[in-house]
Amino acid sequence: MKIAYKHLAKNIIGNPSIDEISDRLFQLGHEHEIENNIFNMEFTPNRGDCLSLNGLLRDLSVFYDVNTDQEIYSEKLKMLDIDFKNFSQDICPKISFLKLEIENIPSKYKDYLNDYFVDLNLNKNNFFTDISNYISYENGQPTHCYDADKINGKLVLQELDTDQEFKTLLEKKINLTNKNLVFLLNDKVINLAGIVGGIETSCSLDTKTVLVECAFFKPEAIIGKSVKYDIQSEASHKFERFVDPECQDRTIRRFIKIVDEHTNIKDISAIEYKFKQNKVTKIPIDIDKINKIIGTNISQDIYLSNLSKLGFNIYDDHIEVPSYRSDIETQNDLAEEIARIIGYDNISRNEISIPKGKKSNVYDLENKLRLFLLDKGFYEIINSSFVGVGSSNSISVDNPLDSNKKYLRYNLTESLLENLLYNERRQKDSIKLFEISDIYTVKNNKINVTRKLAIIASGRAGHNYKDFSTQISKKHLTSIFKEALPSENFEFKVLNRESLNTKVKNEIICCEVDIANFSSDVLSYENLSKPPESFIEYTPISDLPSSIRDLSFSIKDFTVLDKFIEYILEFKHKFLKETYIFDYFNNEKNAEIKIGFRFIFQSAESTITETQVNDVINVIMDYVDEIDGITIPGFK
Amino acid sequence: MSSTKDISPPKIIKDKGAIHPINNMKDSIMNLLVSFGFEIIDGPEIETEEFNFDMLNIKKTHPARQMHDTFYVENKSNLLRTHTSPVQIRGMLEKCPPLAFVSGGKVYRKDDDATHLPMFHQIEGILVDENVSFAQLKDLIYKIVHALFGEDVKLRFRPSYFPFTEPSAEVDILSNEGKWLEILGCGLVNPIVLDNCNIDSNYYSGLAFGLGIERIAMLKHGVRDIREFYKSNLDFLCQFK
Repeated sequence: MKIAYKHLAKNIIGNPSIDEISDRLFQLGHEHEIENNIFNMEFTPNRGDCLSLNGLLRDLSVFYDVNTDQEIYSEKLKMLDIDFKNFSQDICPKISFLKLEIENIPSKYKDYLNDYFVDLNLNKNNFFTDISNYISYENGQPTHCYDADKINGKLVLQELDTDQEFKTLLEKKINLTNKNLVFLLNDKVINLAGIVGGIETSCSLDTKTVLVECAFFKPEAIIGKSVKYDIQSEASHKFERFVDPECQDRTIRRFIKIVDEHTNIKDISAIEYKFKQNKVTKIPIDIDKINKIIGTNISQDIYLSNLSKLGFNIYDDHIEVPSYRSDIETQNDLAEEIARIIGYDNISRNEISIPKGKKSNVYDLENKLRLFLLDKGFYEIINSSFVGVGSSNSISVDNPLDSNKKYLRYNLTESLLENLLYNERRQKDSIKLFEISDIYTVKNNKINVTRKLAIIASGRAGHNYKDFSTQISKKHLTSIFKEALPSENFEFKVLNRESLNTKVKNEIICCEVDIANFSSDVLSYENLSKPPESFIEYTPISDLPSSIRDLSFSIKDFTVLDKFIEYILEFKHKFLKETYIFDYFNNEKNAEIKIGFRFIFQSAESTITETQVNDVINVIMDYVDEIDGITIPGFK
Repeated sequence: MSSTKDISPPKIIKDKGAIHPINNMKDSIMNLLVSFGFEIIDGPEIETEEFNFDMLNIKKTHPARQMHDTFYVENKSNLLRTHTSPVQIRGMLEKCPPLAFVSGGKVYRKDDDATHLPMFHQIEGILVDENVSFAQLKDLIYKIVHALFGEDVKLRFRPSYFPFTEPSAEVDILSNEGKWLEILGCGLVNPIVLDNCNIDSNYYSGLAFGLGIERIAMLKHGVRDIREFYKSNLDFLCQFK
């Protein structure tokens, strides 16, 4: 909600600066951003009482003297003769109607009304609707204006379970379905109560006689409707968050006053229906409890004085909560009020003692498995739980985000296969992935959960000269896994590539095992690796194609070998993504070492060019040229 | 010049894999909390409305309960948990105070953009004992935040609203760029929640906190788009070795 600093400052004695008010609002828990002297407020959903200028001023009254007493029309009102029936008194226990006829429509607004539109950059509509919008901004109570000449017949408020088309005052057609609280005129829906009025009975620029409806709707009757019908409605936003059930009469009188300040009124009549009394919340005064909750030592006088400033009525033994504060019911609620006023940051820390719980081993086994897989060069993946295609025992999502997320996945391997193909398309030639997750299925209406480990791998066994020429196979994986965890059965299998949209021919090896099937022997595995303890600053990745260069060196002076290898492996360049030794041959007969390096290049800005690669290779070659005893056979 | 027989071949550099950065962050935070004395508990991702909402004082009228915020499954008989708090409810129903639990895992909400995903990870902790105060909650939060972001980090507490805590707060840290960044929510356990779990709220009080693991991981690693974590791109994952 947008509230102008100017409108706040005008009603605060002492004219505090915008920064000072901003600090106070944060202290009170009212998040906001400031743009062009306008507070763009983001209130928590329990603070419907703050959704107005007066509401915010009321909260700021713990720090400042504020004015929230706008003038109202105080004369006795003639009884309105209206044919109205409320069949939903439980969800609309209070409603008032005002009928008002004016002589002329004013051509100019008073400063306060004009400023509302100018300062908040809002469009004017028509005289009565403009006043309705202004009052909603000023005191938080939405009202609805009907053109009184269009209201002929029986007006009914009812929660109806009926399908009917309805055209809003913004000319949007909506099909009402299921239960809706509506106003009916002669059995036809003219207003989606608390959300938006209809076009057929709305006011126009020529309307001189208005019927103003001012109601208290319970939030449960309104909630979810604006989202359901895709309607942006300030009224529903307020009703969903609770409006003051005791402000309808005052709102009607404020409406008359504003009209009166703009033009001559020919006729006024009003009626107020109170079907149920508002329940007053009373809480015992207990300063010890408040201090215990917050961890402070404030006096009862200060406590009560602060609550009084917020509009709470103080009696000998209890506190009466004002009607607009539906969020206050308990001592903890009152403690939060006091803590906000003190300022959360001004409450001192008290040393906490934590009762020692038992050391859990819920995740010990799977953590060990993860470290084992880490040692074997596998990367952990976390996939979405949603899939587009299910099986006969899949759990279906009633309200999926889209058709690709209609079910909960019933295995992990299919997601891992997608991950593998995704990385193959990105020129990865050695891919080893795993995932540990719960799988949910349903059988005979019973939901079953199984914790699984899935592994998938394909391509080269590794990026080193020993593994470079070895392809990942069932035998290869079984052998290295058995060596480390001899008593576990991973049951690797080969996935068929035929149905996959890929040109890569490497075998895909996978397995999916219930975590419960692993034995406690896993816990005795001595891992070589451990996850990083410090946090790595991530470098954005490039999705552009990479380029590979292989260079094979012949070394005859072995004294330079170690230094040379170190230089190449440590060589850094912004285009050089990876370097490793893919070939090593000791030719004892010729007294020669042959060593092959693979260089993988990629640019973050554009597809890497031959020239860019050559420039980097030339830097390496310049270094090599200066060392006697190292050559690249055939390199010019 | 020596013979090639005397030359040792280059050391074979075995490829090491990586734990997913989100799980690594989860483990770090869980280990920290366990070192404080919290006990790890676990619970299902498919929950009932009773445990996910009712027991936590999230009323039928709360927007979170609408179809546009929560994923319902199997003809609305169950839902995908929207937070890890139901695990704490299950824990409190099983054990009497004093207690201190922490739980972490996947949670689900109907969101999908650069900063929100329909599936993300949370860690939540709860402590119930005699005379637990907001001032003690602050002490615990300072300890957690200092352990995660260093002793020098500046933090602020802002009043907020969660139906299951009262008073409630959100905690921000000041970034190097001078911007306040929200990192966690916390509060004193609403006495209604304790009573729902058969814990006498006249005698016991509690504190609770929850944080989004992706949020913390994004801040710690400098990742700008949450979706990067779930693309399974090896170029991304290999940076977290």
